[in-house]
Amino acid sequence: MIRHLFKLIWNRKKSNFLLITEIFICFLVLFGVLSLVVYNVRNYSKPLGFKHEQVWLLTMRPDLDSTALNRQNMAQALQLVKSMPEVEAASLTSSNAPFSFSTMNNNVTYNNKKILSNIFEVQDDFKDVMQIELSQGRWFSQEDDASHHIPIVINEVMHQQLFGDENPLGKLIPQNDSTNFQVVGVVAHFRPASEYAAEEPGYFERILPAKNEKAFWGEMLIRVKPGTGVAFEEKMIRQLGQVAKNWTLEVSTLEKMRQNKSKLALVPLIALGLVCGFLIFNVALGLFGVLWHNISRRNSEIGLRRALGAASSQIYWQFIGEVLVLATFGLLLGVFFAVQFPLLQVFQVESEVYFIALLSAVGIIYLLTAICAFCPSRQAAKIHPAMALHEE
Amino acid sequence: MITLTNIEKVYQTKSIETVALQHVNLVVPKGEFLSIMGPSGCGKSTLLNIMGLLDVPTQGTVEIDGHPITSYKDKELAHIRNEKIGFVFQSYHLVNDLSVLDNVELPLLYRNGISASERTRRAKTALEKVGLSARTKHYPTQLSGGQRQRVAIARALIGQPQLILADEPTGNLDSVMGEEIMNILLDLNRVDGTTIVMVTHDENMAQKTERLVRFFDGQQVSDAKVFANLQQV
Ligand SMILES: Nc1ncnc2c1ncn2[C@@H]1O[C@H](COP(=O)(O)OP(=O)(O)OP(=O)(O)O)[C@@H](O)[C@H]1O
Ligand SMILES: [Mg+2]
Repeated sequence: MIRHLFKLIWNRKKSNFLLITEIFICFLVLFGVLSLVVYNVRNYSKPLGFKHEQVWLLTMRPDLDSTALNRQNMAQALQLVKSMPEVEAASLTSSNAPFSFSTMNNNVTYNNKKILSNIFEVQDDFKDVMQIELSQGRWFSQEDDASHHIPIVINEVMHQQLFGDENPLGKLIPQNDSTNFQVVGVVAHFRPASEYAAEEPGYFERILPAKNEKAFWGEMLIRVKPGTGVAFEEKMIRQLGQVAKNWTLEVSTLEKMRQNKSKLALVPLIALGLVCGFLIFNVALGLFGVLWHNISRRNSEIGLRRALGAASSQIYWQFIGEVLVLATFGLLLGVFFAVQFPLLQVFQVESEVYFIALLSAVGIIYLLTAICAFCPSRQAAKIHPAMALHEE
Repeated sequence: MITLTNIEKVYQTKSIETVALQHVNLVVPKGEFLSIMGPSGCGKSTLLNIMGLLDVPTQGTVEIDGHPITSYKDKELAHIRNEKIGFVFQSYHLVNDLSVLDNVELPLLYRNGISASERTRRAKTALEKVGLSARTKHYPTQLSGGQRQRVAIARALIGQPQLILADEPTGNLDSVMGEEIMNILLDLNRVDGTTIVMVTHDENMAQKTERLVRFFDGQQVSDAKVFANLQQV
């Protein structure tokens, strides 16, 4: 019977061409949107590698040109914040703090392997502020002060990309003629860009104001004690204002920043989803109409099949089957194009994302076409054979 | 084989009520070759539909092999149609999207346990019988009216039914071809013992059958053994 249906659809390929094309396009759009959804959801379900609750970001913008004075104020501000009873820990950071809109990266080369990696400049207290956990080695400490190399802590992604299965601890990465990075520790995850972003290679480098006399860090991450509220924010700003007069000071919670980042990722996704839903709805409507029309056009064929021994239920399943075969033609075409994405590694996304999206899209299309076929097929099954044969 | 008792068939449309059959009592014994004649619109096709279990009478009972058809469910009726009955429709009813061969195979598609190769083999044999072996790959729209009719006949034969209901099977054929089809039917009747009910407008064809029932305005007006054949027996 399945062969018969394939034959029937194949022989009608001209009149079914439009439907097959519609299903094909519908599948591709669905595949695209689902790939995006699966990609985002998978990222979301992975650990961030830090705890952002109760962490505030203080942004300091000095008004003076004098670097020396600014650095002095910066040091005082840090001292002051750390001394406040509401504060658990604080660390200066480069401007690419978690959930911020800025990035910083650097090419890292090891054994002729070159990767682009994020740099996070942080102080030793950063570990306590963000509560990150190390999977190998150790975090920065006083003992690093004496090292000839620049100690770095890398994330697991960077470890894999740069060293593969080799033990990363102690590895030297040439930085310039005179200095090397030395890996002292590995964090399993650090994914600060957004909950919906994939984890990129990244490494932490120490902020050492004493060694780097020109530099200024205007961002400070502060972990406050649980239950600390807005009142403290005002108090902190007021006290800092006395240290760094005329500076612009701003405080935001990482939670607020996280929400902003999420919105940025979700809004286009929702918009795409709506467009896709609308398209699918239209295709479904069209399919439904065509199927309905087909039934009346094929009245006498239905009557004939009944006369030749098809039970009413067999007519029903034939029509459902035909639509599924039709969908199969469209899907075969669609899958052919869709598998190129994982095969050609377009967009550097894990193949698994594409395969999940592909299978879901196939499932949804089959389900959708079956639903569209349900009513018309039931109608076809109800047709009275003698009446159907009478019309011609 | 089939017993019709006091059949009445009324078609109810929005404005009019058509009485297609009235007071029809007909017994078709196994192995009989019965012809039905009558003017257009007298209810011949309606009668065949009822005999073929495609339609139910408004009143009266239909029995097939001694069982009233009202005792069967839809699935069982379909099964009986498939196994026991072969139809040749007045307007052929071929599926235009299927080749001649596939059209002829159709009845076997609804029968269990017949392989695809067996279906093809039997369809080819049936087409050979009606002289259409050269047209198996054609589509119905590429055939003449007479050729289509022969495809329809081949389709009725393929399932080796016990009963063939033929609605003007020679209506569109020239006399030579008509003769040939008639011989096929006669052969089926004599050799295989197939019961045949044939509607015809051709007096000559009717004279070759065993029994002739004439209809007028939905009623039987005569029912007689065919004289020529009586002598033959
Ligand atoms: N489905 C139907 N709905 C309404 N009336 C019908 C239907 N089928 C048949 N009739 C009517 O029933 C009567 C008998 O029709 P039927 O088709 O049985 O005639 P027939 O003897 O086969 O005629 P012909 O020799 O022209 O084929 C006709 O008056 C026809 O109009
Ligand atoms: Mg008729």
